[in-house]
Amino acid sequence: MTDTWLKRWLYTTNHKDVGILYFFTSLYFGFVGAILALLMRAQLAAPGSNLLSAAYYNQALTMHGLIMIFWFLSPVALGLANYFVPLQIGAKDLAFPRINAMSYWIYLAGGILAVLSFFVPGGTANAGWTTYQPLATLALGTGPTLAYLGMVLLAASVTLGSVNFMVSIIWLRATGMTLSRLPMFTWFMLFTIIAMLFAFPTLIAAFVLASTDRILGTVFFTSTSIQPSILWDNLFWFFGHPEVYIVLLPGFGIIANILPAFTGRPLAAKNAILISTGLVVIPLSFGVWMHHMFLTGIPVSLQGAFSIATIAISIPFDVITLSFIESLVRGRVKFATPMLFALGGVILFIIGGITGVFLSSPVLDRAFRGSYFVVAHFHYVMVGAAIFGIIAGIYYWLPRMTGRMYNEKLGKWHFAISFIGFNVLYFPMNLLSDMPRRIFTYPNQGDWATLNAMASVGAFIFSGAQILLAANLLYTWFRGPIAPANPWGSPDLEWTSHVEGIAPIAESGAAPPTGGWIGQLSGPPQGHETQSRGGAVGHYGHLSSRPIQISIGALVFLIGAAFYPSISGVAGLVVGAGAVVYAFWGWAKDDIEGKFVVPPEDVGDRWPFASVPKLKLGIWVFLSSEVVLFGSFLGAYIFIRAASAQWPAAGSIHEIPLGTFNTLVLVTSGLTMFLALQSIRKGDRRGLLTWMGVTFVLGAVFMGVKVSEWFNLGGSGFVLADPAMSLASSAYYIIVGLHGAHVTAGLLVMAYLMKKTSMGTYTKDSHEAIENFGLYWAFVDIVWCFVFPLFYLL
Amino acid sequence: MYSGFLATPPTTATYDYLFYWYLFFGTAASVVVISLLVFFMVKYRSRGDGGPEIVHKTEGWKVVLVTVLISISILSAAEYQTFASFGNIEIPNDPNAVHIGVQAFQWGWTFTYPDGKTLLNNLTVPADRTVILNISSKDVFHSFGISMLAVKEDAIPGKVNQLWFLVPDPGVYKNAIRCFELCGVGHAFMVADLTVVSQSAWDTWMGS
Repeated sequence: MTDTWLKRWLYTTNHKDVGILYFFTSLYFGFVGAILALLMRAQLAAPGSNLLSAAYYNQALTMHGLIMIFWFLSPVALGLANYFVPLQIGAKDLAFPRINAMSYWIYLAGGILAVLSFFVPGGTANAGWTTYQPLATLALGTGPTLAYLGMVLLAASVTLGSVNFMVSIIWLRATGMTLSRLPMFTWFMLFTIIAMLFAFPTLIAAFVLASTDRILGTVFFTSTSIQPSILWDNLFWFFGHPEVYIVLLPGFGIIANILPAFTGRPLAAKNAILISTGLVVIPLSFGVWMHHMFLTGIPVSLQGAFSIATIAISIPFDVITLSFIESLVRGRVKFATPMLFALGGVILFIIGGITGVFLSSPVLDRAFRGSYFVVAHFHYVMVGAAIFGIIAGIYYWLPRMTGRMYNEKLGKWHFAISFIGFNVLYFPMNLLSDMPRRIFTYPNQGDWATLNAMASVGAFIFSGAQILLAANLLYTWFRGPIAPANPWGSPDLEWTSHVEGIAPIAESGAAPPTGGWIGQLSGPPQGHETQSRGGAVGHYGHLSSRPIQISIGALVFLIGAAFYPSISGVAGLVVGAGAVVYAFWGWAKDDIEGKFVVPPEDVGDRWPFASVPKLKLGIWVFLSSEVVLFGSFLGAYIFIRAASAQWPAAGSIHEIPLGTFNTLVLVTSGLTMFLALQSIRKGDRRGLLTWMGVTFVLGAVFMGVKVSEWFNLGGSGFVLADPAMSLASSAYYIIVGLHGAHVTAGLLVMAYLMKKTSMGTYTKDSHEAIENFGLYWAFVDIVWCFVFPLFYLL
Repeated sequence: MYSGFLATPPTTATYDYLFYWYLFFGTAASVVVISLLVFFMVKYRSRGDGGPEIVHKTEGWKVVLVTVLISISILSAAEYQTFASFGNIEIPNDPNAVHIGVQAFQWGWTFTYPDGKTLLNNLTVPADRTVILNISSKDVFHSFGISMLAVKEDAIPGKVNQLWFLVPDPGVYKNAIRCFELCGVGHAFMVADLTVVSQSAWDTWMGS
């Protein structure tokens, strides 16, 4: 029994299981973040207090921010999305179940790194969640390194997750689930995912550069000649502003989704809400980042331009808010707990949104930046609107997840105390616009002591109220009365497919239920027998041990990286890399042996991508995020070049003839890959094998030349340690190395594809994998066409 | 914002006007919108028995249009007020201005005066004259702010940023200057005093 239970939760790829894992893990991290916040509020309750030292306080504020934003807010939304997006669109699972499980385990591994970082000598990251440079890099020690590597893993997990959700929402909708019928939560998750897809790669780039500075001694953020503070600001806030909407939109999606259930009337101006969010907020969110940099010395005209863009972004939110309010008109408003949290969230958003308008003014920002006014603003938005929306969703969907009803009275108390506590906590901060944030102590000056004492009292009320949420969760789960199949009378598929009193874990959609939620141990039989049962694919039908293996490998690898170059560090790198390779090998082996089969989805509504196969769509989505990743690295490189007074002349470091030769080799390999593809399109398997073999050899030659170049460069003094060369070599080794890693990954995939070709897997009509690899390889070639001139010729 | 000044400095006056403008419309907008929400929530609460007819139409572009128009009007006016206040952040071309260098470091401020004198954590300026600060940092990212003058600029290594202000009357303002960007364990104590002296006292000090 235990074995089965454990196996189920460790190896599951079922979207509901993974959703539950996300849900509980994120609640745990939310708890950790809250404890850190309470430590800070306890310290600030009175002036001149000595509860926490400055060093501990800085760690607490840094990890409070990172953990709450990255390991709690987004993942709790992803947990609900994991559970409910497939149900809402009538899919059996997400598009790539194993990658979904991998997203979760990598998210957890990142979180483990972040938590571990507290326990190494010197403690964890202490430069704020914004990780301003060069402060963050100058703070030595393994703790911050672990935390930043955790961020890299987290961002990688989010990228995988967004590819998965994007393809699922586009491609796995059931027949009849046209875009116009898509439930609002799913719509808003789609918008969130799009923002994630293009924002997180920049975060990866930023934290990779920060980590290599710490581990390998590159000088991106320690060089004094290029204003590294500004480089970091641009990278971080290009990610950072869309991130605000990434955090906010799931909560808004829930509010939009559940309003009709409690008003008895449809959502008002639904299309206006969708257009505002999808076509105005998301695109505009990538064009306002410099309002975080008004004080960095950018020209006044640029400040004006970004001020206008920033104030403009409030217009779509006005439309959304007013539409929410209009949705009450001529309805019959029922004040159940989810509705209270939804309406409370809207009220708090109005306050947080309007203080945001103040911050869009560069003149007012001179008073507010770095002060508690900013802290109040973003907590009204991120805790007020986002978390209240998510709590509304938890109460709303709890009967679907547990088959039982929560306690309404307890829920209402939870809301009342949360709402009052929230305002006692954050409203005083609006009035503290002359108090710097992130100071661990303050003098008894003006009204600082009174307002801070209020905020601290509010903090304990607000977090105390969350005990009621935990109590209600436990009550519902163990004691709650059996819920009706559709307690809210919702027209959405996740409810209409529900059967009273049971929360079918094994099947999604309209498939027959098999039992209760947690603790349902006697699931359907092992293995793939269940797959023969038509649509109802058993939960045990797609277990895979690979996602968790990959994640453990990555965890060990990155712990090793943080302790590099000590012996244990190197051992960690070797063991971790070995585990990852082993797991991927196993993954491929499972595929070759047909051990892991994702059930085919029935044809549904796939507009506008009906003609694109699932995996190909996934590759396109993934590659679009890769474009942002390389764009961020190359953008950083161009920033560094533009800011550097001196740079080694073209041809003096990198041999142009050799580079040109290598470029020709790689471009030719693109051509031969195309010929390989053409062969199999005609059904010529031998041709495929031959041309792919040639592509492989060309790729290998390219990498061979690269490696020999690196050896020569290292020998000829192009090293990080030489002050004249440190920036040039940092940029070259990391960015060209990243491209090399992509080529190497391509070589490994090619070996796998050739093996499968020789087994006769691919035919004229079925060779999707070759097509997809062709796309990837073309992308790698194209990236080199940017890298080569930037590094060799200019 | 609190100030202990006899006559209000120009940057503070501009800020106060702009802030109260935003505060008035911001408060008005919040009150109106939140009241609407509460009013409709109460008016259309479920009474158990029947009640008014439930609406089933989803698309209401009228409210959207009105919202957009009102938003654009108020926000454009706000943006206009902001642009009209850009004098606060544009460095004036005043030949009579006093230029003072500010170097932030972990954890304090060094002020360098026109005659080459330096003072630690004490910014001394003449009354009723434009002061232009050239702000930079020796080590990490700091932010130089004087809340009661509503001026602030980041102190960034390798970069010089400018801000200006003018205080009409002499006075001593303890801890008026603070760092507003997390810069390490000394961040909370990174404060400095602002001393405004009469023109004659300034001339004497510069001559000494």
